[in-house]
Amino acid sequence: MISLRLKVDPLPIDEPLVVRLQGPGSPARSDHDAVLAEIAPDRREYDLNGFSFGVYGISSEVIDGDVLMMLPGETTAHRLIRAGSAHNTLLVTEQCDQLCVMCSQPPKKYHTDLFEQFTLAASLAPQGAMIGVSGGEPLLHKERLFSMLEDVNAQRPDIGFHILTNAQHFSRADLERLQRLDYERVLWGVPLYSSMPETHDQLVGKPGAFASLEQGLSILMRAGASLELRTVVMQQNWQDLPALADYVSTRLSFLTVWAIMQLERIGYARMNWKETFRDTSGDFEQIARAVDIATARGLKAALYNFPLCSVPPAYQDFAPSTISDWKRKYLDFCLNCRAKETCGGFFQWYSQAEGFAFLGPL
Amino acid sequence: MRSRLFMIPSLLVAGFLPSKSDAMPIGELVSKKDPGTSVLERLRLKHIFTLAGHRSHSSHRSHSSHSSHRSSSGGGYTYRRSAPVYSPPSKVYTTPSTVYTAPAGSFATQPTVSATPTYPVTSDPATAAPLKTLPGNTAKFKRIVMQVQTALTAYGYYEGLIDGQVGPACKKALVAMQTDYNLKVTGTITPDVLNTFGIVAN
Repeated sequence: MISLRLKVDPLPIDEPLVVRLQGPGSPARSDHDAVLAEIAPDRREYDLNGFSFGVYGISSEVIDGDVLMMLPGETTAHRLIRAGSAHNTLLVTEQCDQLCVMCSQPPKKYHTDLFEQFTLAASLAPQGAMIGVSGGEPLLHKERLFSMLEDVNAQRPDIGFHILTNAQHFSRADLERLQRLDYERVLWGVPLYSSMPETHDQLVGKPGAFASLEQGLSILMRAGASLELRTVVMQQNWQDLPALADYVSTRLSFLTVWAIMQLERIGYARMNWKETFRDTSGDFEQIARAVDIATARGLKAALYNFPLCSVPPAYQDFAPSTISDWKRKYLDFCLNCRAKETCGGFFQWYSQAEGFAFLGPL
Repeated sequence: MRSRLFMIPSLLVAGFLPSKSDAMPIGELVSKKDPGTSVLERLRLKHIFTLAGHRSHSSHRSHSSHSSHRSSSGGGYTYRRSAPVYSPPSKVYTTPSTVYTAPAGSFATQPTVSATPTYPVTSDPATAAPLKTLPGNTAKFKRIVMQVQTALTAYGYYEGLIDGQVGPACKKALVAMQTDYNLKVTGTITPDVLNTFGIVAN
């Protein structure tokens, strides 16, 4: 498994420190670069502006170009940016105003504001990187979030962001700032679970959520923003999928992609697994209909987090490999599968005992 | 109002493109967009990230190292603001237990980076001006470097300026001092150097 934290020698810091690790022979390109000074079997020593620190336990992984965040008094550093990965995600807050039945990252009461550090980290990312922004609900800190996007864009216009948000905190006053963002580099990932307001509100645990979401989506559309609409398939919205496809393709046809997603067995989804998980390996009917409706109307639909062997052959092209590298696993029978290269596999916390009934190597 | 909003993309889907789009010069497709981008302009272009990100909310660091994935202790990046210890792991000091969790918004009072709109617009990360260094650490690093330079001067290893920068002369002095004191020779400030000079980093 890929480590998202690395053991380090602590530096004498009072504030969180963001540092980029340079590879062998590479000089520092900024004050935030640590130059590699020595490679030992289990330790690499770096020089950051004249100060030494060691990074441990990276024998098999490449960490050149990675961006770490060290926190005062801690001997583990957060690996904010992995230079070789397309799955970097910044958790900007753990506060949320919804309580979704399938939440994989249950919210917390307090917010530790590290936007300044994230801004710096993003500006140190490799050329053309697409960085995820997640929470909690990032828009609860809308001003800080916009500042981060604007600051990074001002000096690194090549960096893109994929922001997961419930889109319920946009107002008309945000239109101008939204329009200024580069729609080719900022993709808003917004969940919508049903075209029936009551069902959606119930699933996200917030009365009125659907109505505010509609407002937010209309603002995103007016701003010309790029939208990835995200619908997690559950028992609770299984019957609604064709109607939702109808709603999406008539009301939200400006979207970039409609992602129909399988459940991630973690957080509340794990607690509510039995009532929530819909085994789509045996009965794919409602998804097939939804995909057909959207596709026929010119929308791009995609299936996220579906193991390829759970999807009927006719729909496998809709299912890219989407599970982040560091939380992906394969099962025993995957060894003999010819689709392993293109399949995203399973979440680390997937349990076959409670999972899909009909799977097997392709 | 809503019907008007949603009619536009519907027309586009139906193939009724605004006539202006036909006259769109190729060059404009690659040039930086005008800030007043409308949905019409956007729909003309092909997007680079159709499958850009498939991240889910549970991307979080706490999960990768906790056995329980919904552990309520220790969130994403919450940290204890205890007195930090600058020491190699071989000799870990125990700090006085003045440990408390950072209150909400503990950094909210810091000056924000947004006060620096002067970054040059460049797409080359190698030449892009780095963001302002976070003030707390920079000032502290500089103070420690000055203390080290002062000590190196006093011990006769260094004749340069006490400027808070570890430059070539300072590195050379550190190498000489580390050699004489049988420390690991790195040419950088290590916990050993600080200990030898009795400089308290925290």
